[in-house]
Order: sequence, then structure tokens, then C-alpha cells
Amino acid sequence: MVDSAKPVYIVAANRSPHAKSGTVLKDVAAPYLGAYLVRNLIDGTNIPDDQVDEVIFGNVGCPAKYPNIGRVIALEAGLDKKTSGYSVHRNCASGMEALSQAFLKIASGRSDIIVAGGVENMSQMPLIYSKEMTDLFVNMMKAKTFSQKVKAVSSFRPPFLTPTVAIEQGLTDPFCGLNMGQTAELLAREFEISRQEQDEFANQSHQRASMATKEGHFKDEIVPMPVGKGLTKLLSEDVGPREDSTVEGLGKMRPYFERKSGSVTVGNSCPITDGGSAILFCSEEAVKKYNLTPLARVVDYHFHGLEPERMGMGPLLAMDGVMKRTEMTLDQMDLIEINEAFAAQVLSVLKAFENFELAKKFGLDRDWGAVDRNKLNVNGGAIALGHPVGSTGSRLVVTLAHELNRRKARYGMASLCIGGGQGGACIIENLA
Amino acid sequence: MSYKHISFEVVESVAHIGFGYQSDKKMTVLDEPTLKELDQIVEELENQQSSLKGAIFFSHIDGCFLAGADIKLISSLQTEGEAIEGAETGQKIFNRIEDLKVPTVACVNGVCLGGGLELALSCRSIICSDSKKTQLGLPEVKLGLLPGFGGTYRLPRRIGLPNSLDMILTGKTLIPRKAKKLGLVEEVYPKERLSVKAPEHFSSNRKKESLKESFEHLATDNFISRKIIFQKARESVLKKTKGFYQAPLKILDTMESGASRGRTSYLSLEAQSFGELCVSEQSQNLRHLFFLMEGAKKYQGPKSSGKLPDLKRGITLGAGTMGGGIAWLMADNNMMPIMKDLGVEGLELGLKQASSNFMGKVKRKRLSAEDFERKMRSISTTTGFHGFSRGDLVIEAIIEDMEIKKKAFVEVEKKVPEHCLLTSNTSSLSVEEMASVLERPQNFAGLHFFNPVHLMPLVEIITHSKISPETIEALYNWCLKVKKTPVIVGDGPGFLVNRILMPYLNEAGFLLSEGVSMKDIDDACLNFGMPMGPCRLLDEVGIDVAVKVAKILHDGLGDRAAASPISQKLVDAGLYGKKNSRGFYLYDEKGKEAGANEEAQKVLREVASDEKRMSETEIQMRLFLPMINEAAYILEDKIVERASDVDLGLIFGIGFPPFRGGLLRYADSEGVDKILGAIEKFKDEVSADRYCPAPLLKKLVSEKKKFYDCV
Repeated sequence: MVDSAKPVYIVAANRSPHAKSGTVLKDVAAPYLGAYLVRNLIDGTNIPDDQVDEVIFGNVGCPAKYPNIGRVIALEAGLDKKTSGYSVHRNCASGMEALSQAFLKIASGRSDIIVAGGVENMSQMPLIYSKEMTDLFVNMMKAKTFSQKVKAVSSFRPPFLTPTVAIEQGLTDPFCGLNMGQTAELLAREFEISRQEQDEFANQSHQRASMATKEGHFKDEIVPMPVGKGLTKLLSEDVGPREDSTVEGLGKMRPYFERKSGSVTVGNSCPITDGGSAILFCSEEAVKKYNLTPLARVVDYHFHGLEPERMGMGPLLAMDGVMKRTEMTLDQMDLIEINEAFAAQVLSVLKAFENFELAKKFGLDRDWGAVDRNKLNVNGGAIALGHPVGSTGSRLVVTLAHELNRRKARYGMASLCIGGGQGGACIIENLA
Repeated sequence: MSYKHISFEVVESVAHIGFGYQSDKKMTVLDEPTLKELDQIVEELENQQSSLKGAIFFSHIDGCFLAGADIKLISSLQTEGEAIEGAETGQKIFNRIEDLKVPTVACVNGVCLGGGLELALSCRSIICSDSKKTQLGLPEVKLGLLPGFGGTYRLPRRIGLPNSLDMILTGKTLIPRKAKKLGLVEEVYPKERLSVKAPEHFSSNRKKESLKESFEHLATDNFISRKIIFQKARESVLKKTKGFYQAPLKILDTMESGASRGRTSYLSLEAQSFGELCVSEQSQNLRHLFFLMEGAKKYQGPKSSGKLPDLKRGITLGAGTMGGGIAWLMADNNMMPIMKDLGVEGLELGLKQASSNFMGKVKRKRLSAEDFERKMRSISTTTGFHGFSRGDLVIEAIIEDMEIKKKAFVEVEKKVPEHCLLTSNTSSLSVEEMASVLERPQNFAGLHFFNPVHLMPLVEIITHSKISPETIEALYNWCLKVKKTPVIVGDGPGFLVNRILMPYLNEAGFLLSEGVSMKDIDDACLNFGMPMGPCRLLDEVGIDVAVKVAKILHDGLGDRAAASPISQKLVDAGLYGKKNSRGFYLYDEKGKEAGANEEAQKVLREVASDEKRMSETEIQMRLFLPMINEAAYILEDKIVERASDVDLGLIFGIGFPPFRGGLLRYADSEGVDKILGAIEKFKDEVSADRYCPAPLLKKLVSEKKKFYDCV
């Protein structure tokens, strides 16, 4: 960032509990996963409801009913109707894209108070009529005479009824034709990541997440949410981490994406998940005006592209980019979050940091050294907690900010791979 | 010719008749001058009809077409004859509108009730706006009357007999969509388009009947089916009103016996019935109640000078049944409440209560599934103080324990902004004492809701010595905004309602211990018109709670308020009432009453071995006289200012029969001297403590005054 940039503060950060798709959060429409978080953030301050400049939310599924989910969230949260709101889409990093927007706007002095985050209800991603069936409906509607109608109907063939599964299509790269699991398999082969390594990594994620839940590490970031029939139960913890997970148990699962020779299973990948996260960003002026206590400061962010079939290596390039931009090093980071889309993918990134020769193949010209695994995903990651795609980019920062704070540590970096062949990374500094 | 109350102009051969002309009121009614002018305008229309293309009736007031005939005018009709004449005056004007040769269209935007709808019905077509304020109905039955300007004659002819009976007997109003569906209005437009579209309806033939409609018509419009319809309607009326209310039965009689008559003959029957009902005591009582309610809509408490706090954001402390109910009320009124409790279980209880209240609305189609989600999700929960710095109104509904409440308030007062009002939903503890621990006692009040919050309209606003007028007025206005009926009450044991309820419940206990059966007691009260008898009510309140409150009242008021030992005995036997499904009665899992509880009967038999027969009237006297007596003490103690406050409180707080106009209205109508006499008789025969006549009562008798004369 240029020197004239103004500081950008994270005043508060929270998230919903995560729940595997099809379970407790399946009926919560995506805006409601965000609106109550925004309300909660603002309620923790003295900022009047009409003083929020912008609400920006990342969302991948784009529910047909809410084309601009950011604005809907602003209104449902009870913010003043004049509050501007919009939605951003950068696939798995949509939440991080939202916060990068907030960062730029405040750093440039254009805005003072922005809530940014992400929401995803993957349970509610639709089945879509095939193109043929849609054409048939359109022709039916256009048909004026009886014979035209008969003609339209007679074009029907049973296969037209086979629906397109939106989520399946969304998780397949349109450019290279691989689905995300297949890109992970590719990395597992090229980086020689064994099945055992992947399962051990996945198991560790469950153990860490379970422990963090048990010890209340998520208490400050999770806002309990009313769920269930009649909304009479409060969900306060993630539904996903399994305390009883074992490497042996994970070892029994069949590869999912390459059934015959693969190593990526449902167990060592992140589950399809529902959830949301939100962060309140403020300028120095706003902090002073409303007597706020910042939790952290955003140092900078970076996005980077690469081959879509190796999208899992995105964090390598994004982290490289943001460290260069900020002239910081890996050693300075007290905590690092790398999103666990797939164990194979995270392990490949780690391997590339450990072996500069591998990193060079991806165009890195600087050897940053190895990532200290004791600083990595200390409270588990998406394999246990889940990956609500639109939210994860900001969720990582939420968790990172709270954990830095808990440890009274200083710098932390959050990074994630992005379907379509990109990586995103963001560095924050703990202030509280 | 120019008019003062109705505008009249002819533009391009179309007459425009506008009600609410030069009026600055929100509502416009058919009062005497308006009716007179209307009469003259109709005459002009008759004279000009050869040159007119049509006539349009509309209102200058956005949100009110006509709210009906002026009730003050109705109340001024002293005799049956006057009332009949009054009805006939209106009928004549409306007949002449109906008989006009030019097409007439009523453009309804806003409320169109009673005489307003009757006028619209005499037009050839009715069109209405899609505004949320637009509602059409004949609510006369609620005032113990029947529509006397031809409404019972014309409505069935427009929408059929079954729908008309439903509307006229219940007094319910229709929203535009429903009005169109039933054929009451021809079309619904945005309000700005009404006057432009009205002329299109001059030529419109009524919509042709669909096959289904013509079948329905055929099925309902014959002698035999009419008989069945009336019979069914009568059964349903008797079931709903338990036969207490005369008006619906009179309406049925009128409509049935007039069914085959022509207009003139029918209308004279209608006028006759109107006359009879108009002078009936019941209608007078119901109109009295109407005026009380209207009066309660205006703040009459101590004058405030400062700015009133804006009560936008709500907080509830304690998320039990009451807390959840209050959170529901706040959420329903867009206050995005924050509900605080000690733990998740408590919060979930509150959510459950709020959810079940909203669900009731969803089931009755008063709330969409989407709005259910939105309103439920507007409730935040916390076990800490998150969001308290944004609170404008805190309502506390935690355990009834003075020390715990004081501690909670001291803590909360530090977390909320200075302007925030703190209130306690206590039912029995001293508000004065609670206020004593606060830094800003001027912002504190008691705000006593009745259980269940979503059904009971009354809220007691309890004052104390340090309260500011601004606080009282702000709370009063807030109650009105959330559609509750507030009564300003001074601090004292049991405040207003529970203090008067006390003798009702206590005396029932004494009657039981004298050997009067539970059934006889409860039946006597039901037959008086109470929604439930004292034993059933004790179950509802919780017998253990009643024992606690009784003790507080006894301590505060002396032996006049002594309780019988029966309740304590029942509690000792583990009978708490509805809450544990066992009290005087048994209750099933859904909380529905399932007959008398033999266990309770056993306890009762131990106390009173011999059954005592007592006449229904005597039981009623034993229960209601001490209530009246206590009300006199309450007025004397200046707990409330007016007799009307007592009556509002009892009708909306415990369901004292509305057709009796209230407890003190009832006392006045029975005669205060008679009441005093009866109390003195019981003083000698039953108990000198409990039937010790209030000095105010004696004073009234000696000065030959009524309760309603005092203030």
C-alpha cells in the first residue's frame, strides 16, 4: 500500500457457528446468516445505525431471491435504509474480497465505517433445469396457438428432466474441466503427498478444532444463532469437528474424486458447510469519534492467479505477494491460517515453502523458509470446521484476529486457495 | 350552494361528494351536521340527475372514508322512539342515494365502517384503495347495536347471506383483497388512482357470476337453506357469547324474519331493532367502554415539560414466559429486542414463548412465514450486556425477589445510556423501594403486564415518588403504540388489578372452606360473565404464586385481605395448578383442562366435611362485593385517579365482563346504597374484617353520589 494510506482497524469480528450442509442451518436463508452478525457487531459499539457507510458481503451461491445479498443483509440487520450495500464474488475468497474492498475504501479515506464479511448456505444451492427444458418452457410461454403449444410440448424428451446440480457445477472449473477434488489429486501426485500424510493432517484438524471448541477458544467469535423449528434453540458451537476422529478411521474411507488410484477422500477434504462471518472496519477518525477499541489493524492483502488445475497452490503465491508488498517475512508471523480446502493442497503449499526448488516452479524468486506448523491453523481448519465458500475468506481473519488476541501475539496471516486458479492472503496486526 | 362538512362539486357532469371536508381530524364520522348536509346534497343530485353522468363519493382524509355514525349522537338518543327515528333518518337518505338514476361509486380509501359502509352499500359500486389502512366492516355488534342504516338489508344482497352474517355478527373488518374476493368491492386500485378510475365503474355491469358463485347463490338463497344457515349461525353465536350478548341474537332475529320482506318493510324492522338495542343497558355499557377506551388513548397523567425519550430499542431482562412474551411484543413492534438471561436454557425458554406467539399469528394467516423469520431473528440474545448501550427501554421480568431485582437494576443502570427507561414487570413488589437504589430513579417505573402478554391488553404503569412525568408519558405512549391499554397506577400492594383480584380469590377460598362446591363457585362466576371462575383462575396463576402474593397483600393491607388456608393446603399437597397439570382441575399435556382433580377435592373435604348449598346470587355477592369494596379503598388511597381506571383495568386485565361496563359501572347501576347495605349485612353474618365497608363507599351513599360522579 502507498505510504499515504490511512490505517484500517478491525474493531470487532464475529461469525456464526458452522454446520455441515443439510443439518441445523439448512433452512437459514443466506442473508440471515449475515444480518444478525452485523447487528451484533454494531450493537457492541456506539455507532449509530445510520453511520455505517457500506455493507459488503461475499457470497458464491448467489441465491436467485437475493441477487445483491450485501444490501439485503444491511437492511435485515436494521441499519438505516440509506446504508449502501453490495455483494462480491471471488469464489472461495469472496469473503476476503469483501474485506479487501473495505480495506481499500478506508485506507483511501473514502469511507470510515464498513462492515464486510461473507455468507453461504450451501444447503440451499438449487437444482437447475437443463438448457433444453428451459427452452421448452420459454417456447411454451411464447406459444399463442394450440398447435404451437403442441409443437413445443412435443419437443420434450425425458433426459431434459435431469437437473444440473448447481453446487456440483460450481465446484468444477469451467476452464480446465477439473473439479476441485481432482485439482487436489493432481497436487497430491505431483508433490508426492501420501494418503497417510493427508489423513494425519485431517485428523489433526479435527483434534485441534475439538479442543478449541472445548476450551472455549471460539466463544468470543461465535454469535449463537436461533435454529430449529420455530427458531427456539440456540446453536453456539460448530457442527463438524469430531473429537473421536482417528487416522485409522479416516484411512478406511474410499477416495472420492479418483476412485481407483486417488488419495483424496471426503475425510481429508473440507465438508460442504453453511455459515457466515463479518468484520467491522473503521478508520482512525471513526475509532476516535465513537470511542472504539480496535481489535486489530489490517496490514495489507494480495490476490494472485495461477493455472486453474493447480488452484490449490494459490496460498503460496498470495502469501509471497503480500509479504513482498509489506516487506515482511514468514518469521514475523505469530500465527498463520491456510484454508484447508484439501489436506493434499495445504500439504503441497507447505512443501513448496520448505523446498525452494518447488516454489521456483511457481515463479517465486525468494525463499521464505518453512512454515512453522505449530503456528499453522492452531484451532483446526476447514476440514473440521467446514468451508462455507462465500464466508471462509473473512472467517479465517475473524478466527485469526481472535486467536492473536487471545495469545497477545502480534502479526498473523490468513490465506486461501481459490477455485479457478487464484490465491488470496491478508496480514493483520493484533492491537488489543 | 356551499357546505361546511362535505364538499360538493360537479366537474364535467360528474358529481364529486367529498367527506371530511375542511376537517383536521384523523377520522371523520356521520354526525348530525354531516347527515343534514348529505340530505341536502342528495336533493341536489336528485334535481340534477338528468344532466349528470354519475356521482362519486370519496373522502378528503387519507386513511378514513367514514368511520361510521357518530357514537356520541347514538348515545344522545334517549328513548327507543328517538333511536328508531334516528335510524330512519339515515335510512331515508341512503334509500334516496340507492334510488338515484345516475350511477354512483363509493371510492373507499381508509377505514369504512358502520354507517360509512352502509352508505357505500347504497351506491351502485364500491371501489377501494389497496392501502393498509383500508378496511371495511359493520362493527356495530361490538357496541351492542345492529347496523341501522340498512346495512343488514344491503350487505346480504351484495355478498350473500353466509358472508354477511359472519361480518355483521362478529363485527370483523375486511382488508381490500378479501373485500374484492367476497364481491363487496368491484376493484382495488392504488389510492392515487381511485378518482381517475371511478368513472369507469359508471357503466360497469356487476361482474358476471361464475358458475361456482351461481351455485352458491342458488344453494343459499332459498327458504330451507336460509333456515339452516340461521340456525347454524345462532348456535355459533350462543357458543361464542355464552348467550350473554343480546345484539347478535337480535341481529339474527331481524335478518331472519325480514329475509323475505321488501325494502320498506325490512328497513322499518331494522330501525325497530336498532331502537330496542340502542336503549338497552348492555349497549349503553359497551358504548361506555368504548368511550373509556377512546379516553385511554389520550395521555392524562402528570404534565411533562422536557423532551420525551424515543423508545426505539428494547431490552428484556429474564427470558421466562413473561420475558419471552415481552420480547415478542417488542419484536412485533420492530424494537429489535435484546433478551438477557443467565444461561442458554433461559434464553431458549424466552425464544420458545416468542416463537409460539408469532406462530399463532402465522397459523391465523396474520403473519407470513418470511415475516415470522424476520421478526424472530430480530431478537438478539445475550447472557452478558452486549448491546445494552443502545437500549431505550428495559423491561425486567426476572424472579420476584426484591434483593435480586435491586442488584440487577443497579448493574443494568450502569450499562444503559442515560435516557434509557428502566422498568420492572413486578406484580407485587414495591416499586418505590426498587427505585430507591437507582442513580436515576426519575427514569424508573413499574410496567406490569398480564399473562399471557399477547392476549392481555392491560399494562399497569406504576409510579413512585421520584418518577418524572416524562417517564410516565413516554411509557404511556409506548403502551398505546404497541396496542396495549395502559393505566397509570400508584405504588401499593398488588397495585390495581391484583389488589382487586385478591378478594375474588380469597373469598372463593373461604366459600370452599364453608363447604360450597368448587363447581358452584366457578359456575356462578361464569354465569356472571367472568371468563373463568376463581378456582380455575388460581390454577392459571399458580396456586403457589397466589399464596405468596396473598401474603404480601395481607401484610400490606391488614386483615381485610386475609387469605383462607385452603391454598396453602393445596400447595402442601403438591397441587400448583396448570404449571404442574394438577390444581383444582387436571390438565393434559397441551394445558387443556381435563375435569376436576380428585386430589384437590380430597383436600377440600378435609377442610369442609359437609357440603353447603348456596344460591348463585349469594355466591356472586360474596365474591363481587368485596371487590367493589376494595376498589373503593383503592380510589381513596389514590392508587388510581378515576373510577374508569378501575373499570378499564379489570376488563382488560382479568376479563371482567365488558357488557357490564366494568366493576364500578356495575356497582353504580346496581345502586351504591344497595351495595353498601349488602356489604354491611355480610359484615355481620360472614366476617367483620373482610366485609368492612370502605369509608368512600359510605361517603358516596351519604352524599347520594355514584362512583362515576367522584371524578
